[in-house]
Formats: sequence, structure tokens, C-alpha cells
Amino acid sequence: MPKVDDLTLEKELREIIAKIVELEPEKITLEANFVEDLGMDSMMALEILAAMEKKYKIQVPEEKLGQLRSLNDTIKLTKEYL
Amino acid sequence: MMDTEEIKSLIPQRVPFLMLDRVVEIKPGELIRAYKNVSINEDYFRGHFPDTAIFPGALIAEAMAQAACILLKKSILDLKATLFYVTGVKVRFFKPVIPGDQLYIIIKTIKMTHIGGIFETEAAVDGKTVAKGEMTFACK
Repeated sequence: MPKVDDLTLEKELREIIAKIVELEPEKITLEANFVEDLGMDSMMALEILAAMEKKYKIQVPEEKLGQLRSLNDTIKLTKEYL
Repeated sequence: MMDTEEIKSLIPQRVPFLMLDRVVEIKPGELIRAYKNVSINEDYFRGHFPDTAIFPGALIAEAMAQAACILLKKSILDLKATLFYVTGVKVRFFKPVIPGDQLYIIIKTIKMTHIGGIFETEAAVDGKTVAKGEMTFACK
């Protein structure tokens, strides 16, 4: 997988998250809390994890699921495995 | 191969809501193939529909979910969960399933964890796809 630049990564992950939580991408700010601000539950987080893995052909252990709390966290976690 | 008794030892659903008769193949972590023989004797055909018996699409989705639960249990051996909750279903139905059909369910893993899983699901009759989709469920 070629390296993805930061802006592209942010845009792509925002779109993935928006699709799963069924919100407009603009609502997914870098800091918006998945649970408190976006109404996400643990299974939606799992869907995001699976979508990240598929998109970037990476494997993220399930222990990392709890780290998905915002778009910022999602970007950080994805970069760890790219 | 797995018969109904073994199926019952793995999932909590019981008659009249057991939607699998047999599991024919399991590759832990990867896939499961199972089937249900659809019989006119099943009670819901009295109402679905009175003049034309069609196996409800919702029950095809249920059969998919049950097969996915078995796959999850056979893949994550230390899974303590006894209850499963469907949290997301995206299934398209292509062709009606009727009494006499043998409904084949094929489930492939997208992601599996101790809190639940995401699966690619397919149902087929006589080798032709009758429904296809994706399913997410949580376990407790």
C-alpha cells in the first residue's frame, strides 16, 4: 500500500465514518467524540475498523477498538499500521 | 458436518425459530456453509401468504445471522457470549424462496472480534443466489 498523504487520509476516513454513522461528512470534525457527539455505538466502531482495514489493506487488533474515539484518533491509529 | 443437536449447542434459538437444519462446512475465521430445508408444514406459511407460500426474507436474514453466530463461536473459542444482537443488516433479495427449496447459506468473515462480527452473507437455492448482503452483530 503506497503511503497516503495526511489530507487524503483525513478526507477518506471522514467519508468512511460519515457513511457508517449516516451523517454529513462536515459533521465529522477532527475532535467530535464518536459516542457523545455523533451517537456512535461499539458496533459502528467495529464497522469503521473493518472499513479501515479493507480500504488500506491493514490489520488492526481488536484491542485497539477502544482507541477509536474521534476522527483524530482514527487517523492516528490508521497511520500506525500503514 | 453438524446436525441440529450440535447447532442447538452453539446458538440459543430454538424451534420454531431455528433456521438451520445442517452445517456442511466450517473454516474457522473464514467461512461457513449451512442449509435449511424449507417445508410447507412451517406455520408462517399460513399467513405468508395465504394463497402463495413464500419463505419470508426476514427469515432468510435470520438464517444468515444464525450461521454467522456459529461461525463466530467456532472461530473465537474463548467467546463467552450466549446472546447475539443483530445491529446492522444490508441484504438484497433477488428471488422468492418457496416450500421444497433447500436454502443454502454461505457466510464469509469480514471482521470478527469478542464483541461481535461483520460478515458477508449469501443465500442460494439450486446454486442460484437468492439473497446477498452484509450483516453486523454484537454478542454478550
